[in-house]
Order: sequence, then structure tokens, then C-alpha cells
Amino acid sequence: MTKLTLSRRSFLATGTAIGALSLVGLTPAELQAAGETTLRLRLDGDNKILDPGYMIGGTEIEAQKQCLPFLAQYKRDGDSFTWEPTYFVTKLELRDPTHIDFELADGLVWSGGNGPLMASDVKFSYERMKGTDWGGYFDALDHVEVTGDRTGTLVLNKPFAPFFMVTLCHGPGAILCEKAVGAAGGKFTTQFPAVCGPYVYDQVPGQSATFSTNPEWTGPKPGYDKVLLRVISETKAAELAFEAGELDCTELSTDTMARYKAAMPAGAAITTAGQLQYMWMGMNTEHPKLQDIKVRQAIQHAVDVDSIIAAAYSNVPAKSFGVVCPGLIGHRTATKSYSYDPEKARALLAEAGVSGLSLSIRSLNTQEPMLAAQIIQANLAAVGITLNVIPLDSGPFWEMGTESAGDTWKDLELWTMRFAGTPDPYEATQWFVSSQVGIWNWERWKNAEYDSLYEQGIAESDEAKRTEIYLRMQDIMEETGAYVWICHEPEAYVHPENIAINAAPSGELDYRHFSHT
Amino acid sequence: MLTYLIKRLGLSVAVVVTVLLVLFLLLRLIPGNPATIALGPRASPEAIQRYSEKMNLDKPVWMQFATYAGQVVTGDLGNDVFSDRKVSTIIGEQIGFSLALMAAAMGWAVALGVPLGCLAAVRPNSWLDRISAVLSVGTIAIPSFLMSIWALLIFSVNLRWLPAMGAGDPGNIPDQAVHLIMPALAVGLSWVGYLARMVRASMLEVMGEPYIRSAHAFGLKPARVIFGYALPVAILPTITLIGMGFGGLISAAVFAEIIFARPGIGKLIYDSVLARNFPIVQGAVVVATALYIGVVLMSDILVSWIDPRVRNSL
Repeated sequence: MTKLTLSRRSFLATGTAIGALSLVGLTPAELQAAGETTLRLRLDGDNKILDPGYMIGGTEIEAQKQCLPFLAQYKRDGDSFTWEPTYFVTKLELRDPTHIDFELADGLVWSGGNGPLMASDVKFSYERMKGTDWGGYFDALDHVEVTGDRTGTLVLNKPFAPFFMVTLCHGPGAILCEKAVGAAGGKFTTQFPAVCGPYVYDQVPGQSATFSTNPEWTGPKPGYDKVLLRVISETKAAELAFEAGELDCTELSTDTMARYKAAMPAGAAITTAGQLQYMWMGMNTEHPKLQDIKVRQAIQHAVDVDSIIAAAYSNVPAKSFGVVCPGLIGHRTATKSYSYDPEKARALLAEAGVSGLSLSIRSLNTQEPMLAAQIIQANLAAVGITLNVIPLDSGPFWEMGTESAGDTWKDLELWTMRFAGTPDPYEATQWFVSSQVGIWNWERWKNAEYDSLYEQGIAESDEAKRTEIYLRMQDIMEETGAYVWICHEPEAYVHPENIAINAAPSGELDYRHFSHT
Repeated sequence: MLTYLIKRLGLSVAVVVTVLLVLFLLLRLIPGNPATIALGPRASPEAIQRYSEKMNLDKPVWMQFATYAGQVVTGDLGNDVFSDRKVSTIIGEQIGFSLALMAAAMGWAVALGVPLGCLAAVRPNSWLDRISAVLSVGTIAIPSFLMSIWALLIFSVNLRWLPAMGAGDPGNIPDQAVHLIMPALAVGLSWVGYLARMVRASMLEVMGEPYIRSAHAFGLKPARVIFGYALPVAILPTITLIGMGFGGLISAAVFAEIIFARPGIGKLIYDSVLARNFPIVQGAVVVATALYIGVVLMSDILVSWIDPRVRNSL
């Protein structure tokens, strides 16, 4: 633990403030009682498109959460995640597998004289989403029935269990003011046409964004009167700003998290929001060098995942055993068909009649994936496989397995990959169904049982049954020999011990629910 | 003088056009579909289609360049891929911070480096000259990004005397000035050394000239001889150096802007490269190039105004 110091700057600032207050006859205690509380956070870049239909994601979702109504929100339940209705609704119930009834809270109004929050706003917002860039989140929605000023029903076109967690709690589930969006021309970018939440939003491009008290808000008061976000694009710079006392909370990089765990700054604490990122090493099952499953299984046995986590990720992330992340139903806690065993790898290669094998691994040219690729290179060299590491910029990397982007997919052999998603196993498993071959299923295997289980998992609302389904789906993935599961990187935040933070499992902060003790 | 001015202006325009063309081609040579690169791996086909149409990516490259060059001539640098805001507006919001940083950095470097060079030259091989030499070489050797990180760790994280991040509250000039101290210190430090060495060398040459000896012989005060007669001549190469060094100052400012999370054209380019927001990258690089060329042009004009012989050297 480092020592707390009274800096010259804070001494001067405090002294000046006390002096100024004494001139107007206020004591600091009186001012604290009367003054506004400000939360200082980091923004990793300007919010470019606040419209949920066309947003980029990330901090834009954070802004939506503060200023727009949602029907549901994430709730941590021990080590797992579930959902709960927000204070914008008095009722949110799954009547049957395809009907979700809702009733909006009374007395909530849109800013700028745009009237009360109405069920017609829900209908407008969700039906509008179907034709936008984020329309995929609403594929299961057929339409919204408005049954009263504040009541209605979301009608799904098929049973879709993940709808609450994936759609209603997430950014696309934001509700817009029909009247104000219409007046704004049907779309908006850097300013909300109207807000209905505890804060109003403003930004100075390149510098900051501010959430100030919404004078028209009649709902629960947030923990802070004002939230000031400084634009700091580099995570490392933000970490230094926290250490300099200029931020109250910031996201941590993996190596800093390891450093803080060894020597936590005085008065600081770390909160892990979730671990919804999953990293693995993939293999192209159709490539001539990898068509023999014994060769793929040999590679599975040759890779020392513990070393990768220790050397590339400072032992911070959780070891991965599948695509379903910790805290979600269907999360695996062990592999079934392989473990690190170089002897077994050599035996499998001999069994396959393969010697002097030379392969390539493609990796994003950033620190952790490159380190992971180099460790894999050393691991495979130990069993007699020569591995050529090919670092790639994000442009060519993200389309190398996509058939519509050229012929690179034909040469694809091994690669390191990281996906992230929302807190429902449906999202992580959707990329590997047969129809995704050549799109996101770069491993290029097809399995009828997997496809069938995927459909069952969507339709099933019983948690125990869903757990079984997703466990089996990951078994199938592993049995293809095309995967070496690596790790789940956490979304972790450092903050003072006396500030309780609120973060979605995918990392978006909800400033409304921050509190100060 | 007018002929010289026209020649220099023509050359400057040619350089800007060349940079525009090279940059445009380089951005299109990046592997991968520009629309996918800009919008991310999971962008919908509709979004990719919209982007491609907006950026004229469906047209031949030469036509894309002609369209873009035509827009640039009229002052239209295009629109931000995401927010659809004018690139010129975005650059306009940021460039003032970079200019302030560069002016402050060069300002304190000149204020310290020039007198230091003069002092070292009037007392060559003295202890002052030797200390000045060590300091100059030392500051030249320290990269600005390293200086930025040290300054941040010492003055913000440990001592907490100076703010670590940002440019200060909008409209609050004292706050903005305080936020300028560390970045200006970091960016300008190596220039103290450059200027001191340059001025010393020039001054030593000029101090040996007959007219300086005559001035001494007439009994003029040493300060008058140094600052009235020697320095105006010795400063000429330094002015050119400052003009040429402006380019280096822009790149040093990029590091400072990133490390101190300070708005500015360098950070704008950096963030836009990371976000693959190519219209902003193109616009900001063109503006930065024009800025650099403008400063070099001004320094050349200043030198040619002070020393008419230079006008015939183009």
C-alpha cells in the first residue's frame, strides 16, 4: 500500500476554498450540504452517435443508460448475472414465451416539453430498431402492441429466451421520444433530441462530456449531481490520471491490474464488472494440413494455456474452457477432451503419420495476442511443429476468414481470436452454427446436433435445461479439435474504496447507480 | 521580393498537393475494405453500403481523388464517418490547442535557449559554456515523450502540483494556462538545447567579424554589441531552424497530447487512425502539412526580408 500524502496542490486548493468560503460566511460542511457532488470519470473518445440504431457502442451505451429509459437492467446475483425491471416500469412480465407485458411508471416526462413517457414511445423505438444497423437485436420482435397510454406488450415472432438480457438490458433496448426524434428528422448523432432520466447530456468535442441534473426528472435521485467525463483515449494515461487524483474511477489494463493487486494504491479498490470476453486459438478444419483431426488434437495437447495466461496476461484473466463466459449459464469449468500434454501431442502426430509440419498463425498485432502467438509458437516447436507468426492490422485481420472478402480464408491455418458479447450464452454460440461458415465460423465445421441445440437454447426458458444445452454445444466445439480455449479477460475498474460503482457485465458504467459513502 | 514570394507560394502549393495525393493513395493501399476497416468487423451490410457510397468507394480511385481534391480546394474536407460532422469544424475545434502548445513550447525554448547560446558564445570555453554544452546536449537527447511521462509522474502523480490530464475548463484561461505548463515543458525542452547550440555557433562566427571588432573599438557597451549588432545577424539561421523545426514540434506535440490527454490536432489524427476515421485523418494531415509549410514560408520570408541576398537563392 502506498502512503496518502497531502499535496501542495490539494493544500493550496483547500486553503483557497476555505478562505473564499469564509468571506461569504459559509463553512465547508455547509457547502458540502448545499453544494453539488461531482463524479469524475474517463471517456475513451467522443460519443459520435448517440442514436441506438446507428451507434458504434461502448460509451454511447453508457450515455444512453443515463439519459434514456430502459425496460430492464442487469443485476448481479452472486457470481452470475440476471435481469430486473428498471424504475421506468412498474411491470415487466413474460406472459408466455412470445408475449412480454409492460407498464411504464407514471409521472415520467421527456425533456423539452415533449410530454410524458408513453407506451407509444416503446412501440416507436423498438419497431424502428428493426430497420437499423442494430436491427439484429430485434429479429425476434414481431411488433409492439400498445394497450394504454403506459401499457403494452412486446410480441415476439418466436420464443426467444435471451430477449431480456441481450436486447432489453443492452444499449439497443433504449427507448426514444417519438415526438422529439421525429422533429429531429428521424435520426440523431451527438445530442439527444429529448431525455427522460436523471441527467441531461452535453459534450465539448475532444475534451469532455458532462451529465448534469435533469430539472424535469421526477424519478429516483442519482448518487451524484453531476458526472464529468474527460476524454482520455489511452487506458494507461487514464490510470495515471487516477493515480494523480483526477479521476474517481477508470478501467484497468491487464498489466496494471496485476500491479495493483500486488500493491494497491492507498484507499483504492478494484471492481470486476464481468469477464465477457473469450479468447481462443482457432484452426481451419478444411485446410489440407489440418484436415486430420489427430493433427488438430495434437495441437490442442501441445499448447500450454497456463503459460500464455501467466506471460501474456499477467495471470489476471480467468482460464477459459469454452465460449460461454464466467457468470453465465452454461459456463464450463474444465475441458473434456484435451489438456496440456506434449507427450500425447507427439504421439498423436506420430499416429497421424505427420512429421516436419510447418504452419502459420495469424494474430492481431497488439501486445497480448502477439505474446500469446509467440508462446504457442514455442509450444508447437517443442512437439516438432514449425509455426510462422503472422501479425496483422485489424483491417485484414477481421476479414481474413470471411469468404466475401477474398481468398485469404483458404490459406488460413491457425489464429488467435477474441470475441466479446452480452451476458447470455446464445450470443457466444451463435457464431459457430453451420450458416456462419465463411462468415464468423472460420474453423469451418458443421454439426447438425450443434445447430439443433442452438435453436433449442433460444427457445428454452428453463435455466437448467439451457445449461445442459450450452454445455453440450461447447463439448461439440471442443471435439472438433479446432479450438484451444485460452482466457476470459475481465472488465475491471479501479476506484476509491468509498465509492461504490455500478457496471454492466460487459463493462458499461451506469453512473446513476454510483454511490458515495 | 514579390517574385521571391510568388515562387515560394507556388512551391508551397505544390508540396501540399503532393502530400494530399500521397496520403490519399496510402490510405487506399491499406489492406482490407476501407468500409469494413472503418465501421468494424460486425458492421451491417447496409452500413457498409452507406459508407461506401458516402466515401465514393464504388468509384475508380482517380475519380475519388479528383472529387476529394475538388472539395479541398473549396475548403470542404469532408465529413466525419460516424457523427457526420464537418471535418473542418472538428479540426477547427482542436487546432487552437495545438497552436497554443507549440507557441508555448517554442516560446519558452527561445526565451531560454537564445540567451543561453549568447552567454556561451561571449565566454567560450568558460564554465558557463561547458555547463551550457552539457545541458544542451542532454536536453536534445531526451525524447519529448519520455520527458512527458517523467513530468507526469513527478509533478502530477507524486507531488500533485500540476494537473495530469486535459486542457483545462473551456473559457477558464488560468486553468488552461496551468494545464499547458507540463506539455509545453516536455515539448520545448529539446529545443532549448538546439537553439542554444545553434545560437552559440552562429554567434561565435559573427563575433569574429571585423564590424564587431570595430564596434568594440568604438567603445560600445558589450551588451549593445551582442544584442544590437551580433545577435540580429547570428539569429538568421536560427529563424530558419525554428521554421523547419515546426514539423518536429508537431510530432512531439502528438506524444504530449496523447500522454496528457490534451485535445489537439496530433491527438485528433492519432484517435482517428485508431478509429479508422479516414476523412478526419486526411483532413487533419492536410491541415497540419499546410500549417507546417505556412510556418516555413513565414520564416523564409522573414529571413529574406532581413537578408536580401537570400531572395536570389531560390
